[in-house]
Amino acid sequence: MNVRGPLVVGLLTLISAGASIAWQHYCAPLIAAAEEDQQARAWLAVLPEASYDNQPLQQPIALPDPDLAHSRIQAGYLASLHGRSSAVLLLSRFPGYAGPVDLLIAIDRDGRVIASRVLQQQETLGLGARIAEPGNTWLQGFNGHGQGNTPDSAWALKRDNGQFDQLAGASVTSRAVIHAIQDALRYFDQHAPQWLNEGTAP
Amino acid sequence: MKSPVNRSSLAVLSLAPLLGASQTLLHAATMTALSVVAIVVHRALMTPLRRQLDASCAMIASVLLAAAVVTCQTLTLHAWALELRQALGIYPELIAVSCLLVEQSLGSPGQWRRLALLLAGYGALFLLLGACRELLASGSLQLANLAPGALLLLGLLLALTKRACPKQAAPTVKETADR
Repeated sequence: MNVRGPLVVGLLTLISAGASIAWQHYCAPLIAAAEEDQQARAWLAVLPEASYDNQPLQQPIALPDPDLAHSRIQAGYLASLHGRSSAVLLLSRFPGYAGPVDLLIAIDRDGRVIASRVLQQQETLGLGARIAEPGNTWLQGFNGHGQGNTPDSAWALKRDNGQFDQLAGASVTSRAVIHAIQDALRYFDQHAPQWLNEGTAP
Repeated sequence: MKSPVNRSSLAVLSLAPLLGASQTLLHAATMTALSVVAIVVHRALMTPLRRQLDASCAMIASVLLAAAVVTCQTLTLHAWALELRQALGIYPELIAVSCLLVEQSLGSPGQWRRLALLLAGYGALFLLLGACRELLASGSLQLANLAPGALLLLGLLLALTKRACPKQAAPTVKETADR
């Protein structure tokens, strides 16, 4: 009679562990698919819905020499509409104030920023971390700017004699973001002919 | 069965989901549903086991079952409602503690009526808190969005409930724990 309790508990351990593992096994692919789907939605949020009809994340572009002056291009994808390439997505990683920041930048055919969005950051809460808030107005301030309409010297904070405001209390983060966007635009201008023609081929 | 385990510390632990995961009505409703399912399943599985096992073995069995039930439930949430899972953070896992708390405070098997009353009170409080927080936060009262604001609001709600019906206030976490 004394062994019965521990026996039941042992059996219960096996059953509950087995059930958990089996259910985890069943759920794993579903979880992976859901996470992938969520990541894709986060990425594509920088593109207006009417501006592409392909699956941009299925169309990576060649990234020669991805190490830039202030940042590194981690990934790049091509969006197209009616078979004509419409935008390029570049994922830029650069050191922020407290750690690496992943910034996704969408650039249109003419080399202007469509929108940008921070995917990952460890900046100071309430200061630099505000770049990651959805619809952050400071980050939206770069939309529409490109190498063509904004001279080289203007790509800096106003306090550094540039054209852009800084995010309050986060000048290091602000400078890093400006440099990374400028890097990405330069990189785009260098390689755009190759990327954009690829998109029109078949 | 009276247990020497300090019940008020368990009650404090079940306060955590109430304050931490009631930011919106949707979060509160999800947490209520998860809590009800987990606690009822846990109780249903424990009822036959309790008759077979002595106190210490029943305690271990209870912990094992709570862990298994909540693990499976959280995985389900992760697979089918990823955004909710991320928004709720660690709190769906903490429901395991609520399972143990209910098991401890109800004690002997059966008592489904008391369990139903308890869950109804807990759920009502959760939903009310979620609705109030969402309403106040949308009215630009940022404090309602934060956990300290939730604690103040909870205190206010409990005080109002007591005031409204002094004799038969909804069974709260604390009262349940003291039983």
